[in-house]
Amino acid sequence: MNGVAAIEARGLTKDFSFGLRGVNIRAVDQLSLRIEVGQIFGLLGPNGSGKSTTIKMALGLLESTQGSCRIFGVPSCEVRARCQVGYLPESPHFHRFLSGRELVAFYGRLCGLRGEELRRRVDEVIAGVGLEAAAGRRVGTYSRGMLQRIGVAQAIVHDPRLVILDEPMAGIDPVGVAEITALIQQLKARGKTIVLVAHELTQVEALCDRIAILDRGRLVVERDLGAEFTALEVSQLSAEHVAELQAWLEARGGVLTTRRVVRSRLEEFFSPRIPATRETPSP
Amino acid sequence: MNFRGARWLVVITGLGLTGALLRWLSAPLLLHRPAADRPDVRAETFAGAMGQGIALGIFGGFRPLVADFLWLQVQDRWEARDLGGTLGHLRLTTAVDPQPLAFWLNGARIIAYDMTEWRLAGLTRGDAMSESVGKRIEAEQARMALAWLREAERFHPGTPVLQIERANVQLNRLHDVAAAAASYRSAAELTDAPYYAARLHAELLRRLGRKAEAYAWLRKIHPKLPPNDAAAAAGLVLARLRGLEADLAIPPRQRYRAD
Amino acid sequence: MTAVPFSLRRVWLIACVTALEAARQRVFHLVLVLAMGLVLGAHAFREFNFGASELKFMADFGFGALTVFGSVLTIVATAQLFFGELEHRTALTLLAKPVWRAEFILGKIGGVMAVVTVFCALVTLLLLGTLYFRQQTLLAEHPELSESARALDPMAIIAVGVAHWLKFGVLAALTLLIASFARTSLYAVIVGFVMLLICHLHPLARLASARTDSWLLRGVAGMVSLIFPDFQLFDLSASIDSVGAAGAASLIRLVAYAGLYFSVLGSLAVYSFNRREL
Repeated sequence: MNGVAAIEARGLTKDFSFGLRGVNIRAVDQLSLRIEVGQIFGLLGPNGSGKSTTIKMALGLLESTQGSCRIFGVPSCEVRARCQVGYLPESPHFHRFLSGRELVAFYGRLCGLRGEELRRRVDEVIAGVGLEAAAGRRVGTYSRGMLQRIGVAQAIVHDPRLVILDEPMAGIDPVGVAEITALIQQLKARGKTIVLVAHELTQVEALCDRIAILDRGRLVVERDLGAEFTALEVSQLSAEHVAELQAWLEARGGVLTTRRVVRSRLEEFFSPRIPATRETPSP
Repeated sequence: MNFRGARWLVVITGLGLTGALLRWLSAPLLLHRPAADRPDVRAETFAGAMGQGIALGIFGGFRPLVADFLWLQVQDRWEARDLGGTLGHLRLTTAVDPQPLAFWLNGARIIAYDMTEWRLAGLTRGDAMSESVGKRIEAEQARMALAWLREAERFHPGTPVLQIERANVQLNRLHDVAAAAASYRSAAELTDAPYYAARLHAELLRRLGRKAEAYAWLRKIHPKLPPNDAAAAAGLVLARLRGLEADLAIPPRQRYRAD
Repeated sequence: MTAVPFSLRRVWLIACVTALEAARQRVFHLVLVLAMGLVLGAHAFREFNFGASELKFMADFGFGALTVFGSVLTIVATAQLFFGELEHRTALTLLAKPVWRAEFILGKIGGVMAVVTVFCALVTLLLLGTLYFRQQTLLAEHPELSESARALDPMAIIAVGVAHWLKFGVLAALTLLIASFARTSLYAVIVGFVMLLICHLHPLARLASARTDSWLLRGVAGMVSLIFPDFQLFDLSASIDSVGAAGAASLIRLVAYAGLYFSVLGSLAVYSFNRREL
């Protein structure tokens, strides 16, 4: 691997101390990662595995206890590192009294956009997330799915090279998931690097070029989603196959943490039958 | 040291340095204020009033209103002839708002006159017969009133009515004519003093037998009295001068000539 | 990637959004209505006035409303607007952009000061109007009172309003410093009010440090008088008659005192917030 990575973490560790005695809890432990430019990278793991903490350290919102993190070669604690980053936090909230358009314009202005360029970019990204009709409405009246989409719009308004999306599909219905999936694919097609943070494996498996799985702050698996991996029809595994997969994972240092039935057939049935423009603006 | 500790240290050091640096800037800010509104002058009365549920008054907001409500309490305690309660509420009232002179003047009168009566009324018949006990109570209350007026003068320095009130207490309760004469004179020498303070000074000198001093004083003040102001009573002063000239057998050529 | 310099434009943008949010808060509407109601109703309370002239009493009453409700607004709005950003995680979105934390803090304090300015201006102007109206009535009813009725100088009223505004600026910066340490909005509000109390008791701390025999009490009182700003300096309402005599030089000193404390407290809030984990 040559050139500058979109994100490069080396020995990244984060301890949180609690109480008067300062009891330490290690949220991220010696994490080393390299996310190449142009990839869709899935950062996976169960709740509390350290995904969001890792992202916050990458964005300079948290200071690492040990190790370092660079974004396009710039230390993540520097403000300039964030010039090329767009971020959608988990369950985003925005200033409720601004309209969708005002909100995106506000974030655009913070990133240095002005005048005609600002107007053009705001129109582009609002159209990109399919919120043209609702752009004049106050954000406080938006549904969860619309909030996620306006969140994506603010993340990409300044046309960043790296887009970090933390649980972008959490709590969204299948139509919304399909729309956000399409949006991510569009971004990839435009050469953006995308980091997708999720704990739902099925939602990202179709999108990601490479994944890392974290558990209790440690990197458990990091690999490409090549043909060998994606060929597995996870939804059709029998108990026998599960045992086989578990043995295969353990042989390579991995752990099978959850087993669940994925209702992919229902999703396939549901999506095409719900109109894409369900969220219409209020009069 | 961890970051939390270092953060506290930096904040406290920063604020301490700022406080030390700004002392020179803040000190002159108080110079132009009247004493009644200087926090450094009021600090002791603040201390006396702490913990009495009048925080709102002390911290600036609605200070006059809180003081006025406390003054109502003074009136309530006064009607009940409650000596301790009246005195306590008087002190609270002036601690909250030392500005109005009415609180100080009425307070002095309550202490010097009303409280004396209350204490005398509370004596047993035997005690009441004793003149010395009555005089002692009168003197105690008078001294308390004078201390109250001295406190008032810390907040209102150079205020003639406070000095006149002091003279009244010295004259009427302590029966100290010389001290009262001196107080009337110091009041008369202040700007905006009422004209009667100067006349009373001369009258008390005359009563003390110091007629020459009284004559000199009246000669000094008469030219400054406006002839058309009834309160100045220039005619009365001239009549006093003539009386003193007769008493002192001043030769006609040396007598005061009113132009 | 080139360096991102500190930008007043970003501070302005954050301040505008903060001010818009603050102006929509219930606490702002509530304290504004209460304070203005009390200023308008000051005339009705004159029955309780025993010591001062009527206009002086009304002015003191109005400034009492400004002091109490202005302090409540400053502390509560600062804490709520700061923690609102953290609790709703809008701060994450904002600080994930190329925005300095100093810009965020200054924007927050700028937004709070915008609403505090509106509050002070409205209450002071209403007080001026009320006093003018009452003065004219008194002059018409009692021409012989003309001298004393003219005693309240409009410029002195405005100067007292400005002094209150300066104090609220220092109080907002102090509350923001507390918030930069605090974990919850409630904690910041409570400690903010305690600090307000301590800053008003500054002369008492100086007196205690000068008079006490206990080295411990002297040390504590000395520290308090050194560390905390003296809010009694800003309370000009009781000596409103002498504000004119104090002159512009005194007001400039007060502005400098408030400005320096505002800058230091703001800088310390930035320092503390710079290392805060979001």
